Amino acid sequence: MERRVVITAEAAITPIGHGKKEIWNNLVTRVSGVKNLKNRDELLAKYLHSRVFGIVDYEIAYDFPRKFAKTLGPVSYYACQVAKEVIDRAGMDRETLSSGRVGVAFGSIHGSPTVQRHIYEAFFDPSHTGYTKINATDYLKSMVHTTAVNITRMFGITGRVISSCTACTTASQSIGYGYESIKYGLQDAMICGAADEYDLTTVAVFDNLLACSTAFNDTPHLTPRPFDVRRDGLVIGEGAGALMLEEYEHAKKRGAQVIAEVIGFACSNNGGDLILPNAEGVKRTIRMGLENARINPGDVDLISAHATATKMGDIVEAQAIHSEYGTGPYVSGFKGYIGHTMSACGAIEAIFALYMMQEGAIIPTLNLEEADPRCGMVNHTMQVREKDINIVSIHNFAFGGVNTSLFIKKWR
Amino acid sequence: MTRDIIVDRILSILKEEFEIENPDLDENLTDTYEFDSIDAIALLEHVEDMIGAPLTQEEKKRAMELRTINQICDYIERVIKNKK
Repeated sequence: MERRVVITAEAAITPIGHGKKEIWNNLVTRVSGVKNLKNRDELLAKYLHSRVFGIVDYEIAYDFPRKFAKTLGPVSYYACQVAKEVIDRAGMDRETLSSGRVGVAFGSIHGSPTVQRHIYEAFFDPSHTGYTKINATDYLKSMVHTTAVNITRMFGITGRVISSCTACTTASQSIGYGYESIKYGLQDAMICGAADEYDLTTVAVFDNLLACSTAFNDTPHLTPRPFDVRRDGLVIGEGAGALMLEEYEHAKKRGAQVIAEVIGFACSNNGGDLILPNAEGVKRTIRMGLENARINPGDVDLISAHATATKMGDIVEAQAIHSEYGTGPYVSGFKGYIGHTMSACGAIEAIFALYMMQEGAIIPTLNLEEADPRCGMVNHTMQVREKDINIVSIHNFAFGGVNTSLFIKKWR
Repeated sequence: MTRDIIVDRILSILKEEFEIENPDLDENLTDTYEFDSIDAIALLEHVEDMIGAPLTQEEKKRAMELRTINQICDYIERVIKNKK
């Protein structure tokens, strides 16, 4: 049995805003959310080469009672806020949420790194007494599935819990596995997404791998530069995105407004190197996704590229897109606006795709001024284009050799 | 440390750290304020600061049965007495 899976609500917290109006305005006017790195951690900031970050630097009016807030690290604040917003927007009542037919697929790259650092500091206290100061809630705030289970607890959700933890494909896996859970009748609705919080340790990891942008520290809005000849690496960001996925008849019966339909998903592994991008793996994932969606390459109007602005990654992706799609679909990468929001990128980029479908316009790749000839063989979006978009494919690739392709269709 | 001081300190901690205001001393904190096992562990950290000494594992386990403020204060008085 295969059932149709629709999207009935979305919510995002991003470096360019919280909520559709603000985010869309900033996308259309090409505003970057990348700024100079917060300097609150002297030890790491002193030694980092990259000093730019996609920062959520505005206040969010959280309204969580203490009984829920006590187990929330920063990452779960983001997660629970976007989950709350999709529940409200979808109009899903408590009885439905607690029916056992609604689940959560939500993740982060590794729980709350801020809380984890507190734990490590306590463990490595030279007096050897610090471990007694590890808080009762520290593990609940920092464990890998902290976002998913804090959402279930806060909203009384009793269905299945999927907590993907595959770095940059976390959110796209969440959406994909949520889609499959509904499609095959295991659940009627799933809250899907991911979140990640600001933390310098994340930057340090990529900085040490020579993967971060370092040449634009004085002009942060000019980096990252997906597919551009002057790109010099990724920019770490923070944020969260959530989608309410729902079985079509279930949504219709509730009278929920349908935004779009998820029509396909594929995930594969390169089966080899854990870091280097792999064109064959990306091509295979594209083909699997098209087959799953039962569409042809020519049916896709826009590809939301993973495009982190690393030297090799962008080339491999552009070549794979050209191999499977030719020059048909427009190609845009959105990390120029928000940086690489790590686990959350797939959800945020899917939400950007929904906005573009709703508004009838394709947002260009920010900071793409001159395409690297090795990336120039696809149909890059260089400026805002008015277009009725029917199908968007969202690409995401992660350390560990994980690739995903997700297909979303406009609801008509 | 007198009983009155212990009561005042516990009431202050419950208000500032757990958002529990003006509780009855014999009220069941779990039933009335959803004070759970996570809160109990967190409260013990404050108790350790209050008495100026770490609690043993056995002392902590005994605390898991406490439900009211009066029971908490009895417990603290016993712990202080045993540590003298």
